[in-house]
Amino acid sequence: MSGSELPKKEVNVLRGHEGAVLAARFNGDGNYCLTCGKDRTIRLWNPHRGIHIKTYKSHGREVRDVHVTSDNSKLCSCGGDRQIFYWDVSTGRVIRKFRGHDSEVNAVKFNEYASVLVSAGYDRSVRAWDCRSHSTEPIQVIDTFEDSVMSVSLTKTEILAGSVDGTVRTFDIRIGREISDVLGQPVNCISMSNDGNCLLVSCLDSTLRLLDRSTGELLQEYKGHTCKSFKMDCCLTNTDAHVIGGSEDGSIFFWDLVDASVVSSFQAHASVLTLSSFSPKFSSFFSFSVSISVSFQSP
Amino acid sequence: MDADDDDFVFYGTPIEREEEMTGRKKKAVAEAAGHLRSLPPWKQEVTDEEGRRRFHGAFTGGFSAGYYNSVGSKEGWTPQTFTSSRKNRAEMKQQSILNFLDDDERAEMEGNSLRTSLQFDTFGFTATELARKEAEKEQQKRPSAIPGPVPDEIVLPATDSIGVKLLLKMGWRHGHSIKDSRTNSLYDARREARKAFLALSTDDARALHAQSEPVKSHLESVSEQSAEDDAYASQSTPVYVLNPKQDLHGLGYDPFKQAPEFRGNGLFHFAEKKRLRVSGNREPGNRKSNLNKDNLFSFKSGKAAPGFGIGALEELDAEDEDIYASGLDFEETYVQEVEEPSGMSRDSKQKLVKNEQGVLPGFKNASNSDYQLERFNPPVIPVDFKPYHKFCAPLEIESKLASPAPPEVPPPDDSNLRVLIEGIATLVARCGTLFEDLSREKNKANPLFCFLNGGNGHDYYTRKLWEERQKHNGHRKLQVDMKLIPNVQKMTAESRGKILGERPLERSSTNSGSSAAPADVIHLQFNLSDTFTIPASLGDFPRVAKPFRDDPAKQERFELFLKEKYQGGLRSTDSGGASNMSESARARERLDFEAAAETIAKGELNKETEPHSSQQFREISATANMHFTPGGLEQVKIPEGEELIMKKIYPKREEFQWRPSPILCKRFDIMDPYMGKPPPLPRVRGRIDSLIFTPDFVRPTKAEETVAANKNPLPVSQSEPQEISEEMTSREIEIELKNTNVERPVDLYKLCTFTEAIFSDDSDDERENSSLNEVEDPQKKTEVANTTLNRLIAGDFLESLGKELGLEVPPDLSYSLNKASTPPFQNETETIRTSKGDVNNFSFDEKSSSTHKAVIGTFRGQETAYGKLSHPEITREAASDGSELASGNKESSGSKTATGHSENNSGKVKLEKIAPEDKKTKPYSRWSRSSTESSEDERRRHSRRHRSHSSSIPLEDERSRKHSRRHQSGSCNSDSDYSDEHGSRSKGGKKGSSRRKSSREHSKHHKHGSKDYPSKSSRHDTRREHSEAKKESRKSRDRGREPVSSKAGSYKNNR
Repeated sequence: MSGSELPKKEVNVLRGHEGAVLAARFNGDGNYCLTCGKDRTIRLWNPHRGIHIKTYKSHGREVRDVHVTSDNSKLCSCGGDRQIFYWDVSTGRVIRKFRGHDSEVNAVKFNEYASVLVSAGYDRSVRAWDCRSHSTEPIQVIDTFEDSVMSVSLTKTEILAGSVDGTVRTFDIRIGREISDVLGQPVNCISMSNDGNCLLVSCLDSTLRLLDRSTGELLQEYKGHTCKSFKMDCCLTNTDAHVIGGSEDGSIFFWDLVDASVVSSFQAHASVLTLSSFSPKFSSFFSFSVSISVSFQSP
Repeated sequence: MDADDDDFVFYGTPIEREEEMTGRKKKAVAEAAGHLRSLPPWKQEVTDEEGRRRFHGAFTGGFSAGYYNSVGSKEGWTPQTFTSSRKNRAEMKQQSILNFLDDDERAEMEGNSLRTSLQFDTFGFTATELARKEAEKEQQKRPSAIPGPVPDEIVLPATDSIGVKLLLKMGWRHGHSIKDSRTNSLYDARREARKAFLALSTDDARALHAQSEPVKSHLESVSEQSAEDDAYASQSTPVYVLNPKQDLHGLGYDPFKQAPEFRGNGLFHFAEKKRLRVSGNREPGNRKSNLNKDNLFSFKSGKAAPGFGIGALEELDAEDEDIYASGLDFEETYVQEVEEPSGMSRDSKQKLVKNEQGVLPGFKNASNSDYQLERFNPPVIPVDFKPYHKFCAPLEIESKLASPAPPEVPPPDDSNLRVLIEGIATLVARCGTLFEDLSREKNKANPLFCFLNGGNGHDYYTRKLWEERQKHNGHRKLQVDMKLIPNVQKMTAESRGKILGERPLERSSTNSGSSAAPADVIHLQFNLSDTFTIPASLGDFPRVAKPFRDDPAKQERFELFLKEKYQGGLRSTDSGGASNMSESARARERLDFEAAAETIAKGELNKETEPHSSQQFREISATANMHFTPGGLEQVKIPEGEELIMKKIYPKREEFQWRPSPILCKRFDIMDPYMGKPPPLPRVRGRIDSLIFTPDFVRPTKAEETVAANKNPLPVSQSEPQEISEEMTSREIEIELKNTNVERPVDLYKLCTFTEAIFSDDSDDERENSSLNEVEDPQKKTEVANTTLNRLIAGDFLESLGKELGLEVPPDLSYSLNKASTPPFQNETETIRTSKGDVNNFSFDEKSSSTHKAVIGTFRGQETAYGKLSHPEITREAASDGSELASGNKESSGSKTATGHSENNSGKVKLEKIAPEDKKTKPYSRWSRSSTESSEDERRRHSRRHRSHSSSIPLEDERSRKHSRRHQSGSCNSDSDYSDEHGSRSKGGKKGSSRRKSSREHSKHHKHGSKDYPSKSSRHDTRREHSEAKKESRKSRDRGREPVSSKAGSYKNNR
């Protein structure tokens, strides 16, 4: 994929949030997306047409992360109110609230079967919640982290979490091991490559790092952007050929995965901060900023 | 949804219905009266002291309603004033409010009411009043013989006022001045003067004044009121009262302001007159009359009326007495009115004169005050005091020296005896008389030693002893003098610092160019922490054996290192090695040095006779090491080449045990890897702050222990009961299986990663890469092993027990078994074994001296804490066991692996070099460890005792406890903890150097892979299938092994 194919065109701007947007996630097939922000709402959009579909309100504080199951039936969200909300997508009602985190919850993810929620919190713990039972107690608490856990990612068998303590920890359920990759820099966001072999880690030293998951080796570093104080997402393109990351100056960077060169970078937002999010099958992605809008980029 | 009900959020508090508050709830509230305070105010209920409710609300009876709560009867309010009985005439009852009050209210009222108390009736007024009233009442009740009111004067206060009582108790008598009769030194003088004055006095006061001018002046200089004598004491207590306003002018209005001459001209003014009166009072004649009248019946006799018509120069006499004066006896006091200076009055004139001298109005300068600053002399220093401290030893010596010298005696003829005597004398002089007693006791029967008991040669012995003592003391005294005198004489901050091993901070110049200000700050901090090294005085500089003889440069660096280590002071930045060395090499070398230094120090210490002190010393040095020499050195450098180092260090991979909860596994649709197994040992927590080169000894260990303590007890207690029942059959097999079991997750994982690694490579490079992987294997696996081994502690423990019991575990069996089963798995255990073997082996195999040192390097810091109890321990163990020494060895070997295998982190650095040989030699080497090795273990264990934590106890059996391995697992933890850090060090170094290239290649390959995505994905799929298949087979195998393994696990736990 050459640079020209990169999603650079702003297709739509999703307006509606009344505050900073903190996360934007595609659904499983990439047709819809969910955004959440400081206005305590979660909004469901059709980004391709720029239509606001639904608003989910129940959070008492800012919503920091949202995730939707692969069958699009359930939502989970988390935020500053230290709870994880488990929503029914269609009715917009809260099915369950999981309380247990001692402080803000930074990230939340469903597992593959949408049976378990895994959340990562500022209370230095990762907690797994059972969606199937009525229990609101965590079924597993992982508290080996030494600082706020910023990002969590799940595979079929593993829980990966990146923490400000500079580690990316992989909890392999199959073998009951915790593998800790110490990066030495606060980890902001982790993002798995599409083939599942690599892990893109956004560190607070303005560097994205690509780790080999099996060995823990550092494969590549991507620099050029600014990421020093904000939680910013990063991701790989669908083909794993490029790395996308946002910068605090409002621009979006594309790096070549292999030689770490900045393929392209452009100003996407005028405001301070830009974050970027997934690129599911339409090879399009979002950027969103502390401004209210979310822009949807497509090739 | 049914679950939705509990998802409602309630805000605020629901309204409580009144009926809910009745009955039961009310009772509960009453019962919870004690907790009422915690209730919000509107829920609190006011009750009286008997628990009755006080307020009922306007609609439920009002305040204090009902029979039980209030006055009245059961029927309600009954009229009390009317009684219908004829006989009992209704008497007029005086009703007061008290009749209508409850007890508690009454008490409250009384508490609030203001009353006078006799206690505070200072002047007796109230008492007088009371007495008077009482008398009046009495008089009213029964008419007395004498009609009319009782004269006031007759009724006296029944009691003296408290003030009077106090004064009486203090020796005051009625009619005397309150002042102390001998208050000041001037008193006598004044008295004398007054006597003279009285003697000289005539009727003419003026003449008197003129005559006795000096006396007068003297008197007045003292003070006016002090001119009083005891005779006038009853009037003498001075009360300063402000001039009461007694004229009809407005406040502050001075009618004489415009015409002061009138004031001075004898115009009538109350104040003036009063002043005159006062001065007149002072005149002897008048005074006498006053005195005469001063009795009970002449209260008002001395009072001059503030009337008109008395001139300034007129004398006061009886007719001027103020018959209208109030009860207040101002006349008895000296009212000094300075506000209105009068030119005519003598007193005021004098006062004016005084005022001009800058004294407060109304005050006079005391001519001489009785207040003198008392000065105390400093304590007298004895002449023979010498301002330095003498230690008791020299004192003793001196006292002994003082003892008179026994007479010179010719040596006995027997040269043997002479030599003996001299020898003994020397020894006794050196070691004290205790030795003498000892030898006397010992050689009682020996005729050769009879000189000790006063036999043959005793005189010579005493003489010799004296001489020896003399000599010895002289020597010591010299030493002491050398040490003491200079210290005392010029003990400055620097010299003290030198003694303490400090050195002034200085910025190292190496850093100054490149690093910015913050870096400098960090540097300084590190310098600070590094400033404190072991003081030189703690131990002698160890005689340097030359451990690096083969490498002169290295030896040189080592000596430098030693010097810095033992002689204190700042470490220069490049002390660790030559500047051309790589970071990792330097770090490794530093480790080596540390290790060598420790061994040397240990060897040195072993020579010492007294185990206790040496152990103490070691502890001291160990702690000193811990506290004062964190290797700040390498950290200092991080700012310099941060990039480079970071790349070398990070990412660093560590592996830990982690136990997913069964339900999580279930939800993830994964088989629980720990199904049916006891919970794993608490894992060693990763520490981000233990950046590679900083052995931060103190804090992490602590955290570790607490973590372990938190995690440990519960799971163990859970699993214990069910497994106690299990028999320990076929122990050997179980032991082996247990090993494999614990490792199984690892090797499963490894298997996956291996296959992944192999299959993800491009076909061209496949072969090369696989080999590459294999090369990397040991390293990778040792990393894995590090963590696995933590879990294995218990296993080894078990093994050791098995061996203790005489059940030999044939090492070959496991080896071959493992080998046969699964190659990667076998590799896994292999590496673990080898690492263990390494650690155990190196000190005995003469493989290479350098590796030896390196391994010892892992003991750095651990060995600092070595005790010397090892040997007794071992022998005792062997004896109590009833088995041969070998069993003791074995046991300790087991424990060695328990403690030691956590060390193989560091051993692993060497592992790559010697792994091949090791694999061969391992089975033998593992068991062929000499007793000294095990003694090291013992020692370590002992020295670790204090670090142990209670959670370790449930893990062991009494047997092990009996062998004083009480704290083994605790020490294991700390050991592994410690060595983890070392491992990370060496790992970092290792990675930095050797793995660079391979990782590069690897990433290249990966990039290739990701570029041609479709093909790769297919390959991925196949690979996955492959691994899945393997997994499946694995699973089945595991399942097959499950029962046994669980048994093994339980066995482990049982212990």
